Amino acid sequence: MSQTEAVEAKTEAAAMPIVDSDGIESMYLTFAVGDESYGVSIGMVTEIVGMQTIMSVPDVPHYIKGVINLRGKVIPLMDVRLRFGIEERPYDERTVVIVLEVDDAPIGLIVDRVSEVLDVPADKIDRTGNFGGGEGKSMVSALARIEDRLAILLDVHALVSDSDLKMPDLS
Amino acid sequence: MSVQPEQATEKSAAGALMRVSSDKIGRLMDLVSELSLSVSETINSPDLQDLDLVDFEAASHRLSMIVREVQDAATELRLVPVSEVFRRLKRMVRELERETGKKIDLELRGEDTAIDKLVADRLYDPLLHVVRNSADHGLEPPDERVAAGKSDKGTIILGAAQVGSEVRIQVIDDGRGLNREKILKIARKRGFFGPDEEPEPSTLWKCIFEPGFSTAEAVTTLSGRGVGMDVLNTTMKDLRGRIAVDSEAGNGTSVSLHIPVSLAFLDSILLRLGNQLFTVPVEDIHEIVKPTGSESVEISADNGTEMLKLRGKFIPVRRLETFYRNCRKEIRPLSDMVSIVFSTARGHIAVPVDEVLDRQQVVMKPLTGALAQVRASWGCALLATGEVAIVLDCERLAVGGDK
Repeated sequence: MSQTEAVEAKTEAAAMPIVDSDGIESMYLTFAVGDESYGVSIGMVTEIVGMQTIMSVPDVPHYIKGVINLRGKVIPLMDVRLRFGIEERPYDERTVVIVLEVDDAPIGLIVDRVSEVLDVPADKIDRTGNFGGGEGKSMVSALARIEDRLAILLDVHALVSDSDLKMPDLS
Repeated sequence: MSVQPEQATEKSAAGALMRVSSDKIGRLMDLVSELSLSVSETINSPDLQDLDLVDFEAASHRLSMIVREVQDAATELRLVPVSEVFRRLKRMVRELERETGKKIDLELRGEDTAIDKLVADRLYDPLLHVVRNSADHGLEPPDERVAAGKSDKGTIILGAAQVGSEVRIQVIDDGRGLNREKILKIARKRGFFGPDEEPEPSTLWKCIFEPGFSTAEAVTTLSGRGVGMDVLNTTMKDLRGRIAVDSEAGNGTSVSLHIPVSLAFLDSILLRLGNQLFTVPVEDIHEIVKPTGSESVEISADNGTEMLKLRGKFIPVRRLETFYRNCRKEIRPLSDMVSIVFSTARGHIAVPVDEVLDRQQVVMKPLTGALAQVRASWGCALLATGEVAIVLDCERLAVGGDK
């Protein structure tokens, strides 16, 4: 019930092909942040919803914009632009929230727009790249080559953990 | 399951007992709270504003009443009488009698008091420690009692009563009472009080629940190792409970545990600071004041600590603006704000907010994932409006700093 409602809410998302459950392992939901295309494993995605009123909460990193109440579930929202250190931009009608379930906790990713669900065969995934030039664990798990385009596949566990960030001075 | 005969006949009249898994009840509770939220969303929909809908008003009023009743009925599903816990303690006291050689009369009061099953399941261990302490340290041996002009049989009263949204469980003994000198000496040694400080009795008694605090000269198998109190503290914290102690030399000690009836619902006051909403359990609030400019002082020598003067006493001010990261940064003068005075284990603290909004029964949700790092909070609360507020834990706020 929830899935359909949410998908209907976003016309682009409604145009997405029905995911074949056998091939779910190789399926990725791709979305745009700035000029780049990113992907998360479809198995992690619980739903896609339009932007809603965000309620600010204290004591969270700057890239957690606040929480939304999604049918009685409190979901923190991460602005992916802020998380990646890209310039923030105002939300518009194409801005969407991709709700993921990571380690039994929900998290919503605010992205510029969702693109499509892609089936990426294993031989098109390049994991050899040595990501994480900076300190800590990289949020990128692999690169996927789809025809002439490139999608950056994210490690959602690294994305939601903030171990790579220095905690702000609390004093 | 062994059900007492008189209970069995009573129950069979109203229908047989059913065993239901707590997951199923949890699911029902979740659905009921969602239902209640979406009903209130529908009724308060902005689309309906300024419309004159007489029949709708009446129907929606009825609907809200029913939802409220459904919510109450669902909550009741999880309530069990405390007698279950008390019965287990009764057996324990028999054992204590044998081990200590003391004669103990256990009196139970208010066994029908209902409490959330999850709370009841966790109550046994902390209560056990309190009862053990009473039996071991509180009650005197028979000869000592007779010498003091008391009956040779000691009495421990185990009582429960509901007061508002709290259940108060009391363990009262008629033993020797707490020894002020002894406790004060240890408390001073441990640095809780200055050498010349003479704390109020209720403040001093609370020390006995500090970890590792034990005045028992000999560590017995029963108690005296100061470990039991840790269990008590941890459990009480998890259950959002408070401990109060009262004692009179020679006349015994009473320990009260104040615990919310249900962990899922919270009777709370809603507060606003900037664009953020906070909520606090009603029972934590001592008073709400609107200070004028002359009632506050700032102490530069102590990092600009603010104090609020209330009826001649100074209360430290804890600012959410400075405690929390990404809270509003602007610090407005106390006289422009409303101060909430909380009673905590460390005494009163005043927390200034912009506005006190409402008193509401809210649904509590745990803070998970990205929200787990929010400090000094019990969880988040879903308000009837669909908004989300952070539930403040004033005890941890009083301590300040990190978790």
